[in-house]
Amino acid sequence: MGRDRLRRAPIFLALLLLLGSLAPSGCRREEAPGKTGAPAKSVTLILGAYTTPREVYGKAILPAFQKEWQQKTGQTVEFRESYQGSGAQSRAIIGGFEADVAALSLEGDIDRIAEAGLITHDWKAKPHGGMVSDSIVVLAVRQGNPKKVLDWPDLTKPGLNVLTPDPKTSGGAQWNVNAIYGAALRGFAGVPKDDPVAAKEFLKSVLRNVSIMDKGARESITTFEKGVGDVAITYENEIFIGRQAGQAYDEVVPRSTILIENPAALIDKYVDRHGVRVVAEAFVEFLHGPQAQKAYAQYGLRPVDETVAKESGTKLPAVEDLWKIDYLGGWKKVAQELYGPDGIYTQAFTELGSKR
Amino acid sequence: MSSARPRRAMHDARRPWGLWGLRGAVVSYLVLMIVVPLLAVFQRGFSGGLRAFARELANPIAFDALKLTVLTAAITAAVNLVMGTLTAYALTRYEFPGRSVLDRLVDMPFAIPTLVTGVMLVVLYGPTGVLGGWLEARHISVIFAKPGIVLALLFVTYPFVIRTVQPVLLEAERAEEEAAFTIGASKWTNFRLIVLPTIFPAAASGALLSFARSLGEFGSIVVIAGNIPRRTLTVPVHIYGQVEAHNERGASAMSIVLLALSFGLLWILDWRQHRKRSS
Repeated sequence: MGRDRLRRAPIFLALLLLLGSLAPSGCRREEAPGKTGAPAKSVTLILGAYTTPREVYGKAILPAFQKEWQQKTGQTVEFRESYQGSGAQSRAIIGGFEADVAALSLEGDIDRIAEAGLITHDWKAKPHGGMVSDSIVVLAVRQGNPKKVLDWPDLTKPGLNVLTPDPKTSGGAQWNVNAIYGAALRGFAGVPKDDPVAAKEFLKSVLRNVSIMDKGARESITTFEKGVGDVAITYENEIFIGRQAGQAYDEVVPRSTILIENPAALIDKYVDRHGVRVVAEAFVEFLHGPQAQKAYAQYGLRPVDETVAKESGTKLPAVEDLWKIDYLGGWKKVAQELYGPDGIYTQAFTELGSKR
Repeated sequence: MSSARPRRAMHDARRPWGLWGLRGAVVSYLVLMIVVPLLAVFQRGFSGGLRAFARELANPIAFDALKLTVLTAAITAAVNLVMGTLTAYALTRYEFPGRSVLDRLVDMPFAIPTLVTGVMLVVLYGPTGVLGGWLEARHISVIFAKPGIVLALLFVTYPFVIRTVQPVLLEAERAEEEAAFTIGASKWTNFRLIVLPTIFPAAASGALLSFARSLGEFGSIVVIAGNIPRRTLTVPVHIYGQVEAHNERGASAMSIVLLALSFGLLWILDWRQHRKRSS
């Protein structure tokens, strides 16, 4: 009997290990301790954000708001910040991470929170349609642009090694694929205008050159910084941050690209539960104000405020043909038609097959 | 076994409550920690019925991911079976300087987050790394290709076979080995005819453990593989993508396949050993 049990031990151990290794993909949930009644002297706000603006929030916007709120009301604001991938953050909030304010990469991730009944106001009715910052999809190339990559069509050159994050694991990475597909549809990729079949073929020939799809935007550009690849499809602000950190690579702005819009919204259910509506509303307001807008610009994001945008406009290159997600029919349509089980993106990889 | 039974019965009669309490606690712990989460995975995976389950697997991207995952896990298990057995033999039967240090190093992969393993391998084999530069000059791609996946898996599963074989070797009767030496058997004959049959079941179960562990490996693979659908996308990374794309059913369906694979293999091993022993 005893021997029998001992002999079985490795089997249980194996199952345990297998389960353990599956766990990270199955259940990730961030837990934040619930707020205990706010004394008048200080108030706590919980911010659930995506990873890209970690620096601008942590170093610039949050301290500035704390200062302003202190002067205005005498109250101290304490922030609890959580940063993770936009989709994961959105799921965490729905799953019970009680963030008072969500600042995410794309509209769809906020919409999902609203659909779960946690946001009860019309968050898109806010100024700038609920968006607080913009960016554009651009290309990062090696210094001096040795492969002569000047626009989208160059990405299909045989033998070119292209990096882009995985749109399946990172919602934010969908901006990149949207940009390629949309630019092709708009006639800026050397294929006939308004021809979905040609646009799909173009997307396919770019994807054929994609050798690495990292988990998220930041990981992708980090791989590029390690010397892998000829081109990285990325965001303007990622290049900005990389250069500030001393990385030397060139930026190529395609003639046609998509305007990335990042939303922020207050989450009614959690705000009311914590009794912090007044300060949370003021904070979202503050994100749209000149101080925060200038901070976004300082960290390479495009401000949504036009006056601030004009002031900092010299730094950011103009785009010949700049368009929004609406051109592709909005996020809901894109989620189905591009990334759904039979979506164009999914089909492209199915058709490309295992040998390229 | 027959001598053990009456003694245990007496033991039971004397202190039934303690034993039942222990059993109950252990079983509830198992149910709570393993069975309930497993049931949740199964429930989600089959939530759309069998047809939806089959459709998730028939998807060429998912199917190719499964092929790649099984292939790389099998290669890893095979390499571990050979190298792990030899390493364990060397560590227990030979005295050489640095042996105890080596013995301690074996467990290191357990202590390193696998994500770090991936990053470390990318730095090492990337174009700016020492090894990577040398390989690139010869047009050999290791990382962001299938060999990189095996490399990461070998690192992560390094201790499995060694640590299952070592205790068997330490406990094994040396008399037979010594007798074989006395009658002039070479070291290799001795290893093949005396040592190997003793340690093979342990080595095989170690190899299966590393196979099972490889099937589910995520952290290092997501960094090192490149994750291109139908080329370098493994099942765990695919599952992660499905979770991110809000397709929890697809994610659960693929997890069930992985579970069934490793459970089935471990069950076969168990059954074979059982049969061998009773015959």
